[in-house]
Amino acid sequence: MPEKQASQDPRFLYLSELLGARVLDAGGQPLGRVSDAVVTTRETYPLVEAIVVRRGRQRLQLPWEAVRGRRGGRFEVDATVAEPLQPSAADRIRLVEEILDQQIVDVEGAKVVRVNDLHFLSVKGALRLVHVDVGFRGLVRRMGWERAVDGAVRLVRPRARYLDADQLLSWKLVQPLSSAPGKVRIEVAQRMLADLHPSDLAEIMEDLDRQQRTVLFGRLDVETAAEALEEASPEVTTQLLEEVSPEKAADILEEMAPDEAADVLAELPGHTRRELLEAMDRPEAHEVRQLLEYHPRSAGGLMTTDLVELRRDATVDDALLEVRRRADEIPILHEIFVTGSSGRLEGICTLKDLVAAEPALLVGKLMREAPATVQPEAELHDVAEAASKYNMVSVPVVDEAGALKGIVTVDDILAEVLRER
Amino acid sequence: MSAELAGGADRPKRNFWRNVMVFLAVVGPGIITANVDNDAGGITTYSLAGAQYGNKLLWTLIPITIALVVIQEMSARMGVMTGKGLADLIRENYGVKVTFWIMVALLVADVGNTIAEFSGVAASVQIFGVPPWISVPITAVAVWVLVLKGTYRQVEKVFLVACLFYVAYPISAMLARPDWGTVLKSTVTPTFQASGGYVAMLIGVVGTTIAPWMQFYLQSAVVEKGIKPEHYAHSRLDVIVGCIFTDVVAFFIIAACAATVYVAGVKVETADQAAMALGPLAGKYASWLFAFGLFNASFFAATILPLATSYYICEAFGWESGIDKKWDEAKQFYSLYTLIVALGAAVVLIPHLPLLQIMLLSQVVNGMLLPFILIFMLLLINKEKLMGPHRNGPWFNGIAWLTTVTMIVLTAYLVYAGVRDLLVGGA
Repeated sequence: MPEKQASQDPRFLYLSELLGARVLDAGGQPLGRVSDAVVTTRETYPLVEAIVVRRGRQRLQLPWEAVRGRRGGRFEVDATVAEPLQPSAADRIRLVEEILDQQIVDVEGAKVVRVNDLHFLSVKGALRLVHVDVGFRGLVRRMGWERAVDGAVRLVRPRARYLDADQLLSWKLVQPLSSAPGKVRIEVAQRMLADLHPSDLAEIMEDLDRQQRTVLFGRLDVETAAEALEEASPEVTTQLLEEVSPEKAADILEEMAPDEAADVLAELPGHTRRELLEAMDRPEAHEVRQLLEYHPRSAGGLMTTDLVELRRDATVDDALLEVRRRADEIPILHEIFVTGSSGRLEGICTLKDLVAAEPALLVGKLMREAPATVQPEAELHDVAEAASKYNMVSVPVVDEAGALKGIVTVDDILAEVLRER
Repeated sequence: MSAELAGGADRPKRNFWRNVMVFLAVVGPGIITANVDNDAGGITTYSLAGAQYGNKLLWTLIPITIALVVIQEMSARMGVMTGKGLADLIRENYGVKVTFWIMVALLVADVGNTIAEFSGVAASVQIFGVPPWISVPITAVAVWVLVLKGTYRQVEKVFLVACLFYVAYPISAMLARPDWGTVLKSTVTPTFQASGGYVAMLIGVVGTTIAPWMQFYLQSAVVEKGIKPEHYAHSRLDVIVGCIFTDVVAFFIIAACAATVYVAGVKVETADQAAMALGPLAGKYASWLFAFGLFNASFFAATILPLATSYYICEAFGWESGIDKKWDEAKQFYSLYTLIVALGAAVVLIPHLPLLQIMLLSQVVNGMLLPFILIFMLLLINKEKLMGPHRNGPWFNGIAWLTTVTMIVLTAYLVYAGVRDLLVGGA
């Protein structure tokens, strides 16, 4: 460690360099050793507010201003302002206790990482937390072997990547998930979290432990939560839905595609399922209830009721309007379905047909017969075969009377077929 | 009114079935862990205990089962309540340095154990006339493929089936026709011999039953399975059933060897020799079953140990892990896994290697590690921050500490004896 006064030069230093440093009062009497640092989270890059000094079982907190000088791993402090350890608060983080060695979410890389060290910038005597070290060098530094290992590596390969491959993540791009209520959330990271791809988000949730997963899930808005749940494994999904309030769970289920919601509900214990169905809005609950009646791997169990359905006398223009209106809620939209009075499926047209046709044309004229349909009891194999043989993105499911009940989309078919192998 | 009555009568029945269903969904980790425990090393120790001391060590199985249940129950409880693995918890609560040394010791011990498993495979199929240079590489590849190409659920099913094959031992014990009256009496009457050999064997039996890696494996398996706190009672039952099953298998191994090898006064030093000795005494089927059991156990443990070890190490250091990741995403995980399997298999194939010494060394490292693991477990499980109301109660804590101290004293002797033998062997 360079022998400099703390007040000189902006420079970087690591938390591991502070920990264990000896703390002396103005008279040179030892107070103990540094065991933790407290930061306030009011700013983007949190300011170190105090250090925790430990002596035997006793712990004291010293405001950062009380540090008179820092030299060669020793702190000289004004011991008169020492106070007992302050209880944990919403806008304060104890770095060793809450961040170091814990798992956090790297929002930029969309993965869960473990904190090996923390990186501060020292400006005019004040310390700001700027980076989180998640790399191998951080581990080596914590073991106290940085010099030895660096020397050894330099000897073998002077230009080894290891020597400058610090994996530092910016503090504002990580999200700690302490389980204490009302704890730190980093706004930039929070916003980016909602923008992650739902499958990345689902993977992050799988990698977290249960409590952290619940914390993260609780911070997502209903829409993001629903999208992420559609991608997560059944274990994770059921756990999360059981841990949030029934009202929120119901909101999330309503937001999900009905077939996905039915799949999730099917995994839940009976009483929870009934409770959630009660809490859901009528029309959504009704759709989901119907889907639940079918065997999960039959066409009925795989199908969704989210589709664009029109009458013969609608114009192409009407059709496109309807497509625009519903585009947001329907993930895969390729075929449009034309039905008659009792919901009978009369024909389909593709999005391409609509775009290419004259706006005033009636869809009744444009449509053609559906190349294949399946009944709700049809097995996965038959559905997959229909989709593959007739190049359909969504296979319509009809009952005995020919009424359209829903569609099975190719993404769900693929997922099931892959699972079967 | 009558409908209400009918509903009332119906209730307990439905609850019962619901309980059975939940139990079946939760079952797995405890039973698998306890069975992997009867690996090549375990079977060797039990066979020798029976062959050299007859029924005189059978009584130890009851206290061992209790100790095993006490310790494994804590692992399962921590897994369910915190949703984190033991390596995670140690790293998060005690920092990098402690974690690093524990992981190094665990790696050494587990590589040693894996070598023992592969030598168990080699020895058992040799009885059927297959030479090691064929059986060991095939097993290594099979293990590697099974784990890397399977999902957790598939692998768990294979493992549960492997557990069933342990019936080979009860059957081979039946074929050995022991005097069951005497056997049962010895099981409930503690006896003690002051000879050094007896004490060493007693400690060996204890040491092979409670190993450090098990606590890590069980806790991670419980977490991986996503068992919820409200289903904890079922998970505990899973653990208890598993522990009892393990020691029932051990019981039959000891009884089989006691009734034949010990009575005939044949001298054996390894499990495969015990299997061979059974042939002329209890018929070739008993001998084959015994050998098949050894193969099953060794293969089973050779699958789990390297995988489990790679998991904890990656977990502790925050590297990506899991068989559903691609090689590039989880380099450390796959490298470690492959290294342990390859090392385990390769060492067995090197001619004139002091295998006995290697196994002794791994046993010593296991023994040195165990006290630390048990103490960390007890400290962690008593932390309010982690466990809340599910901490140990005063009574349970008393039993747990007593078990831990006993284990520490016994393994300290095991380490002492192991080091002494290693030095004497080396000189």
